[in-house]
Amino acid sequence: MWAYIVRRVVATIPVMAIVALFVFSLLYLAPGDPAAVIAGDQATPEDVERIRASLGLDRPFLVRFGEWAFRIVQGDLGVSIFTNLPVVTMIKQRVEPTLSLMVVTLCLALSIAIPMGVIAAWKQGTTIDRIVMGVAVLGFSVPVFVVGYLLAYTFALELDWLPVQGYTPLSEGIPYWLENLILPAVALGGVYIALIARITRASMLEVLSQDYVRTARAKGAGQTSILFVHALKNAAVPIVTVVGIGFAGLIGGAVVTESVFAIPGLGRLTVDAILRRDYPVIQGVVLLFSFVYVIVNLAIDILYTVFDPRIRY
Amino acid sequence: MSATALPPGFDPAQIPPGLAIAQPMPDVLPPVKPRKGFIGFVRRHPTMAIGGFLLLLMLCIAIFAPYLFTKDPTALAPALRTREPSARWWFGTDMLGRDVYSRVLYGARVSLLVGFSVAILASVIGLFIGIVAGFNRVVDSIVMRVMDGLMSIPSILLAIALMALTRGSVQNVIIAITIADVPRVSRLVRGVVLSLREQPYVEAAVAAGTRTPVIMFKHILPNTLAPLTVQATYVCAAAMITEAILSFIGAGTPPIIPSWGNIMAEGRALWQVKPYIVFFPAIFLSITVLAVNLLGDGLRDAIDPRLAKRL
Repeated sequence: MWAYIVRRVVATIPVMAIVALFVFSLLYLAPGDPAAVIAGDQATPEDVERIRASLGLDRPFLVRFGEWAFRIVQGDLGVSIFTNLPVVTMIKQRVEPTLSLMVVTLCLALSIAIPMGVIAAWKQGTTIDRIVMGVAVLGFSVPVFVVGYLLAYTFALELDWLPVQGYTPLSEGIPYWLENLILPAVALGGVYIALIARITRASMLEVLSQDYVRTARAKGAGQTSILFVHALKNAAVPIVTVVGIGFAGLIGGAVVTESVFAIPGLGRLTVDAILRRDYPVIQGVVLLFSFVYVIVNLAIDILYTVFDPRIRY
Repeated sequence: MSATALPPGFDPAQIPPGLAIAQPMPDVLPPVKPRKGFIGFVRRHPTMAIGGFLLLLMLCIAIFAPYLFTKDPTALAPALRTREPSARWWFGTDMLGRDVYSRVLYGARVSLLVGFSVAILASVIGLFIGIVAGFNRVVDSIVMRVMDGLMSIPSILLAIALMALTRGSVQNVIIAITIADVPRVSRLVRGVVLSLREQPYVEAAVAAGTRTPVIMFKHILPNTLAPLTVQATYVCAAAMITEAILSFIGAGTPPIIPSWGNIMAEGRALWQVKPYIVFFPAIFLSITVLAVNLLGDGLRDAIDPRLAKRL
């Protein structure tokens, strides 16, 4: 068990190194010469050269990468070109709305998608099954912002049930906080729900034809108990895998959802940084999101051992 | 010939008494003949037919956009801005007085171009990388580590980061999305190649002394094409969504070119009062993506009917 966990943790190190190398190359390849910008219009080529040397920009790529990586590990992501604030500070200011959105979306998606998939598998081939699978295909195809605008128009503008846009911090009370997050979470969760419902159904179908399910039925276990206790636990590994893989889509979708619903989170920060070409901020956000994605999938790898104790690589 | 068909050289007299010879079963049930032709295809693969029809419709709209009663999609008319949909402007006009109907129709060109280009490019590059990685351990361990790294950057973020490096142009959008999609495709191909290598016919080819490149491209490659085609349709659908997202947040197709993402980005400021500017491109985008996804699902079911029953 511990050997497996240690091995999984060690395996993420090269992955994060590749991510870091890519993100560093981004700044390295970015158009514009910082030394020339700092030196100004009046500077002679010698001045520019001197500034470049003083900033350490004349040294080889790998040396600069090493220094940069060393600072990253210490938690220093550099300074924004546009606001002159440390990138870490900017990220800290924006992290709550995005985290809230993700958590609410995740809870919502899991609590809708898994029962959907289980019921579709149980009622395989019936109208209920077809409807669930049809909804899943639709969920795949309708992009986040389309669902977002549709929901905001219907439930906020026309029916006036929920606020149109914006974000209320958690400190002002859970009801206000949740009120603002429901529509974005449904919009963002659409693709995720479709993905999880489909894999849940497929995985459950496989498990439901196993002998021990028949045994459970024969010994008189109730239908709910068979579906959600006997079968679901054994169908869990593929489902959990897809939850992890789909998390990438959740991160990408958050960038768009925050634009649609004017939520001041990391997604807005990314979009603003792109429009201003604020490379240190882009770097920081990409690095952070990739790190979160890797950690989520690492956690899921470890979770496998809970669902299937046979897994020992 | 007697009523009982006996094998030649078999004398009925030798049959021991009490043993009856079974009569051959008459063909009571006529053989199942799948209906041929177009109607038969539609009946057997309704999802593929619907998807194909919708996609063909969009393709026609993209190709014949100038002849479908459109105006110049970039012509400004500030005096006629934000008109509601009417007989004169079918989808209304935007905040600069441009005809939304014309812009949406021309927008199909960008989406389909990006979707198809990315699907083809990512498939070809991914196929090559996957096959080579599946055959060469050194390449495999290096390339697949890089791919793992790239795959742990959410693909929309990867495309956004790449777009930040370059000017916005349709070409750069295609390149950025392709780079973001190649890791997934090459992983799929590599997996298929590794399982195909264990097949007896490949072992036979190796035993017969066939050179490795011939095995790779003549024996293995054709068998990867079926799963790759299915994957390509999903890549195509995802690429169209990514293009729209990139354009929507201002990091994609330059604003001068009407693309669905751009039209929505421009309609964003006014969407609470003039929702139609956002909704028309949104509907077109959703239908196109749905069409490609249905086509992909249909293809998958047709290629692997066993899977179709379950998924």
